[in-house]
Amino acid sequence: MNAYTAVTRASYLAYLRDRTSVIFTFAFPLVFLIVFGMIFQGQAVDGGLSYINYIAPGVLSWGIGNAALFGVAFTLMHWRRDDLLRLIWRTPTPLPTVLGARYAVALGTGLVQAVLFTAVALAAFGLHLSGSWPLALPVLVFGITAFAALGLVVGTLANTPEAVAAIANCVMVPMAFLSGAFYPIDLMPGWLQGLSRALPLRYFDEGVTDAVGGRGGIALPFLDCAALTGFTLVFALIAAKTFRWSNRN
Amino acid sequence: MSTGDGRPDAAVALDGVRKRYGTVQALDGVSLTVERGEFFGILGPNGAGKTTLVEIVEGLRTPDSGTVSVLGESPWPRNTALLRRLGIQTQSSAFFTRLTAREHLETVAALYRLERPAALRALDLVDLGDQADRRIDQLSGGQRQRLALATALIHEPELIFLDEPTAALDPAARRSLWEVLRALKGDGRTIVHTTHHLDEAEALCDRVAIVARGAVLAVDSPRHLIKSLSAPTTLRVPAYRLGVEDVRDLPGVESAGIEGGELVISTHTANQVLLALGDLVDLEEITTRTATLEDAYLALTTTEQCRS
Repeated sequence: MNAYTAVTRASYLAYLRDRTSVIFTFAFPLVFLIVFGMIFQGQAVDGGLSYINYIAPGVLSWGIGNAALFGVAFTLMHWRRDDLLRLIWRTPTPLPTVLGARYAVALGTGLVQAVLFTAVALAAFGLHLSGSWPLALPVLVFGITAFAALGLVVGTLANTPEAVAAIANCVMVPMAFLSGAFYPIDLMPGWLQGLSRALPLRYFDEGVTDAVGGRGGIALPFLDCAALTGFTLVFALIAAKTFRWSNRN
Repeated sequence: MSTGDGRPDAAVALDGVRKRYGTVQALDGVSLTVERGEFFGILGPNGAGKTTLVEIVEGLRTPDSGTVSVLGESPWPRNTALLRRLGIQTQSSAFFTRLTAREHLETVAALYRLERPAALRALDLVDLGDQADRRIDQLSGGQRQRLALATALIHEPELIFLDEPTAALDPAARRSLWEVLRALKGDGRTIVHTTHHLDEAEALCDRVAIVARGAVLAVDSPRHLIKSLSAPTTLRVPAYRLGVEDVRDLPGVESAGIEGGELVISTHTANQVLLALGDLVDLEEITTRTATLEDAYLALTTTEQCRS
C-alpha cells in the first residue's frame, strides 16, 4: 500500500464512520432543493429556464462546493491540531501526496452527491437533462477542486472546529446568493452582477446550469472550467504561503 | 548556527545551543553528548526547555546559535534521510481520526513506505496485538500511550526520543513498558527519554541530564549524581530497642534522633555504623535508606531556583 492509497483509505474510513456527517452532507442540498422548489414552482427564471433547471444546478453546485470546503478545512485543522502534520513532516512522504489523498475523498464525495441529487431532481421535480449534460462532469471536477483549495485556506486560517464553521459559513452563505446559485442573477442590480464574476461559485453554477440546460454549446462550460482553475491556483497559492505545520509559534 | 562535526560518532552532540522565543530564553547554552547505544534521561521541571531541545534535534526548529549534530548529520534543513532514522514520541499523541489501532499504524507505515506487517509488528512490540481492531477512541489512556510508542517505533529507528512515555500508565503497565524499552536498548538503539519519574530514570538510564530554565545543571550516571550529592545514609531502628544516648558516640554516627517511634541515625559510613549496631541489635531490625536520584534532582533544581 503506497502512502497515497493509505491516506485516501484512512480519510474515507474517517469520513464514512462519521455517520451523522455523511447523512447531512447528502441531505443538506436536498433540503434546499425542496425549499427552493416550493418557492419558485411554476416560474420561468434566468433567461427562460424552467424553475427546476435553474434551481437544481444552483443548489447542487453550492452543496458540493460547501461539502468540499468544509471537509478539507476540517481535516487540515484537525491534522494540524492533533500533530498529525508533524508526524507526516517526519516521514519521507511529501505533503502534496497526503493532501492529494484527501482531495480524492472530496472528489468522490462530490460526485456521489451529484448522482444522488440529480436522481432526486429527475424523479421528483421533473428536471430536464439536455443532451449536453456530460459537459457538467468536468465542471464538477474543476468546481470541487476550487472549493477544496479554498478549504485549504480556511483550514490553515482556523485552529478550532468552531472557527472552521464560522469562516466557512461566512464565505459560503453570502456566496450562495451573490453568485446567482440561490437567487436569479438577472434580478440583481448591474454592479452585483459584476461582483458575482469575482466568485468561484458563479462559474461552477453557470457551467453546470449551461451543461444541464443545453445552453452555450461546448465552449461555455470550458470557459467556466478555466475560470475555476484560476481560482484554484489563487487559493492554492494563498494556502501554500500561509501553511503552518503546527499551531505552536 | 552550524553543524557540529566534532563528534560524528555520537548519537547527539549539542554545543552551546541557544534558542529564544520573544522574551523567553528557552535554551540558554546547552551542551551535551549522547553516545550511540546509550539510554539517556532528560529530567527537569515543566518549561525547562525539554520540548524545544527535541524539536531542535529533529530539525523542526533551528537554534539561534550553537552547533547540533545528530547521528553525524545536520538535522536542518528538513533531513528526511536522518528523520527516517529517528523515532519521536511526543506527548500530544497524533492519531488518524476514527481508525482502529491497526488501521492507524498501517497508514503510518505507508507514510514511511513500509509494508503492512510493520503495523502488527509494532503493535506486538508494545503488547497491544489483542487490541489491533479496536477503534483508537475506545482504547484506555495507557493503551493509547502504548499506541503512540508503537507509532514512534514502526520504522525501527536507531535513535528514539520519548517524551514521558509512561505518564498515563498504571504501575504494572509502566513496568511492562520498561521491559520494552530495555529490550530496545538491548538491540543497540539509542534512547533519549524525558521523564518526571525519577525512579524510572534511575532504573533505566545510563546517564541523565538535569535541566532547568534552558540550561544543563548536571550530566552523569544516576549513581554518580547521587554520590556527588554526598547525602548521608539514614539507618532506622525501632526506638524501643535503642535510645539516642546508646548510639550517639559510636564511630561514624553524625547525628541521631527519634522520629515516629524510630531511632534515626545519619551517617556517611554506613558499613562502620552497621557493624557497631550489630553488637547492640539484630541487624534485621535495621532499615537502611540511601540517597536517591530524587534527592539529587531536588538538591540541584532547588539551588537553581534560589539563585534566580
